[in-house]
Order: sequence, then C-alpha cells, then structure tokens
Amino acid sequence: MIVSDLVCVQSDDFSLADEYQRLSNINSRVGAVVTFCGLVRDFESSAGESESTKVVNYLTLQHYPGMTENLLEDIVTQAKARWDLVAVTVIHRIGTLAPNDQIVFVGVASEHRKEAFDAAQFLMDYLKTKATFWKKLTAEGKEQWLDAKLSDTDAVVKWNKDSHDQC
Amino acid sequence: MINLLFFGRLGDLAKDAPTCIASSGLDPTPLTIRQLMMAEHPELAEALSEPQVLVSVNKMVVKWDQPLFNGDELAFLPPVTGG
Repeated sequence: MIVSDLVCVQSDDFSLADEYQRLSNINSRVGAVVTFCGLVRDFESSAGESESTKVVNYLTLQHYPGMTENLLEDIVTQAKARWDLVAVTVIHRIGTLAPNDQIVFVGVASEHRKEAFDAAQFLMDYLKTKATFWKKLTAEGKEQWLDAKLSDTDAVVKWNKDSHDQC
Repeated sequence: MINLLFFGRLGDLAKDAPTCIASSGLDPTPLTIRQLMMAEHPELAEALSEPQVLVSVNKMVVKWDQPLFNGDELAFLPPVTGG
C-alpha cells in the first residue's frame, strides 16, 4: 500500500466515474485502467434447497471494523508484489443494500492491460474469501445469513497453484 | 477482561452470551472459552465448533490454542461472504 492506493469500507455509494478519474489521472505511466463493479442481484439461488431461487428484498452487509481494512490492505500489497501496478482502489459498502445497488468496486491502473486485468481478478477472488464481510439476505420476507461458496474458494486455490507454477 | 465478538450468524446465536469474560484463573485460550460456553449457551458453542469457524485475537487470525491476556479482543468468525 502506498499513497496512490485507496482502501475504503463505507455505507455511502461510490461513483464509478470519479474512481476511474482518480486512477487514470494518477500519473502519465498509466496506460490501462481495469474497473470491476459488483451489484446486488435480485435473486439468490441456494444449492441447499434443490436449486430454488428466491426473490431478494435486500442484503445487509456486516464487517469487522479495523480487521477488514487491514485484510484489504494486505490483499492490495500482495497484488502489487505480484504485478507491476501503478495504483489500486478497493471500495466495499456495508449496511443495507437493495437489488441493483453497487456493493463493491475494484480498480487497477497499470502500464499495460494484462497486469490490470489479472490483478483486478486476483483482488476480487481474494476479497471474496479473505475479507471479513458477512451478508444477511432478506428474501421473500425471511432473513438468512449467506453461506460461503465453494467456487470462490476454488478461485483462490487457482491463484496459489499459478504462483507455484511460476516458481 | 477478554472482550468477545461474534460475527455473522454467530452474532444471532450469541445475543444472550457474555460480551466479555474474566481473564484470571485458568490460562484462557479461544478453545477454553468455547468450552466455557457449552454449559449455558450450547447452541452457540456447537456453532463455534464447526470446522470453518476461525478465531482472531486483536484482529489477527490465530490458532484455537493461542494464549489470551487481559484486554485482548477475541472474535469468532464464520466463513466470510463479501464481494
């Protein structure tokens, strides 16, 4: 983490345009900016209940203040150790969010596109399995804490495998 | 005193559980504190025993046998679901 990086956990919404501006204007080395924005879906499929699909009313995001920011900063540091990046932004919202609301932003600025694409995917994969956030779903009037997805864990295993392959 | 935090679904199960526990007496660890919960909060203790639950002390993930000291913040963390 250096001054040009930004990690933020906030209840307020964020502006994709502002975040892109920040990354693209950091310095003249920047030749590529990749941004990812995650939104709240209006449906949730739960594998445990024979693939039933529920209509989502809203999501409530809880986190562990202090620890979450430390973990996100650590993930950014890992990405910057792996790729040559100019700047990184990670924003995650907390509180109550409705379908179609923005929930997470990851932006990476680098000299060339490959580093930015790869690092953005790495950051999202790690964030999903490491950062201390928990989602409570309210669907069809009922509350339920969401379970972690195996596919998310598999995504991180793949990055670990890739790093061994490079050795 | 050791401060206790429960996140996600563990927080719902811990509504009547103590928010802090005396650090005197037995050498406390996350494991012994979990065992202490067994008598009065069996449902919570059972949820804490699930293999995916992690523990942190002062915001660092630790092992269940990590010694705890006065003023420590012990948190029980179910699998995370951010992003």
